[in-house]
Amino acid sequence: MALRGTGPLHLMKKNIPLIILTLILILLPSIPFAQVQTRLRVIRASNVGAGFDPVLTDVHSQLGSLFNFTSYRLLRDESLSLSLNQPVSISAREGRITIEINLVKLQKSSPELIIRVVREEKEILKTQVRLSPGRTVLIGGPKLREGVIIYAISARF
Amino acid sequence: MKDSCSSISQLLERYFDRQATDEERSLVERHLPICQTCHERLTLLEELRKAIKAPVDEALKEETFPWVWEKIERGIRLGKKPSWQESVRSWLDLSPLLRKKVWIPAVATAIVLALVASPLLFKKTPSYSERSVVEYLESQDYNVMVYESEKAKVTVIWLFEELDPSTS
Repeated sequence: MALRGTGPLHLMKKNIPLIILTLILILLPSIPFAQVQTRLRVIRASNVGAGFDPVLTDVHSQLGSLFNFTSYRLLRDESLSLSLNQPVSISAREGRITIEINLVKLQKSSPELIIRVVREEKEILKTQVRLSPGRTVLIGGPKLREGVIIYAISARF
Repeated sequence: MKDSCSSISQLLERYFDRQATDEERSLVERHLPICQTCHERLTLLEELRKAIKAPVDEALKEETFPWVWEKIERGIRLGKKPSWQESVRSWLDLSPLLRKKVWIPAVATAIVLALVASPLLFKKTPSYSERSVVEYLESQDYNVMVYESEKAKVTVIWLFEELDPSTS
């Protein structure tokens, strides 16, 4: 005589939504989000004139101890939605320098980017960096007119 | 003998119903071979029992007692629902695992594993912010400086365009 409604199959069928929900909750943290919001600021630093844009206070304070630039000017301020393996290129308006940013790895709050700086179709820098909350990566040095160009890259979490 | 027969006849029904004591049974069994009346009475009782039992046995063979099963099923349906632990246990059939023979060695193994693994578990691993941000760096024609400040949370990668004459 079989007892109805208490067998393993019945219990399994009854709990299918619960099982699916549990699996989703377990697997959700391991599923990478599709995009990473990144802020890219293109800055020209020079010793011609003085002063800096108020939005560049953080960059000025970070670079002040390393370099003696008197002027910081914001050329571009871009919000980039980076997708995996889909490089985004940004050119400086006043020169022939291009930065290409490619999201190559995505782990929780630590996206990894491959950054290429190209001048006149020649790659002058290739680096892989990992962004973390609150951290800014500054890439600078290439000459741009009377100053140098600086890229400030940070992720928005 | 007569008194004896009279007293035995009182014991005969108890003997027939197998309720007599050992002493009474011995008394009856000694008396029966020598008393025709008591012997016949006992034979009559046995025949009477057979006559009653035969139709009852025959009726029992044909009866399936469906009402008994109905009552049992009703009792099961109305019975207390199993708790979730009982459901899980019946589902996974874990009852053998709950026996002492199994869980005592299992707990002991878990403790040993925990002791062995504890240095690894409690070892401080550097967080992402403490580790280097630059995974690799490549520049063929320029000198590159990397500066990392944990306090300011900034990483500076600086390209020096003019090559050092001593290295060229």
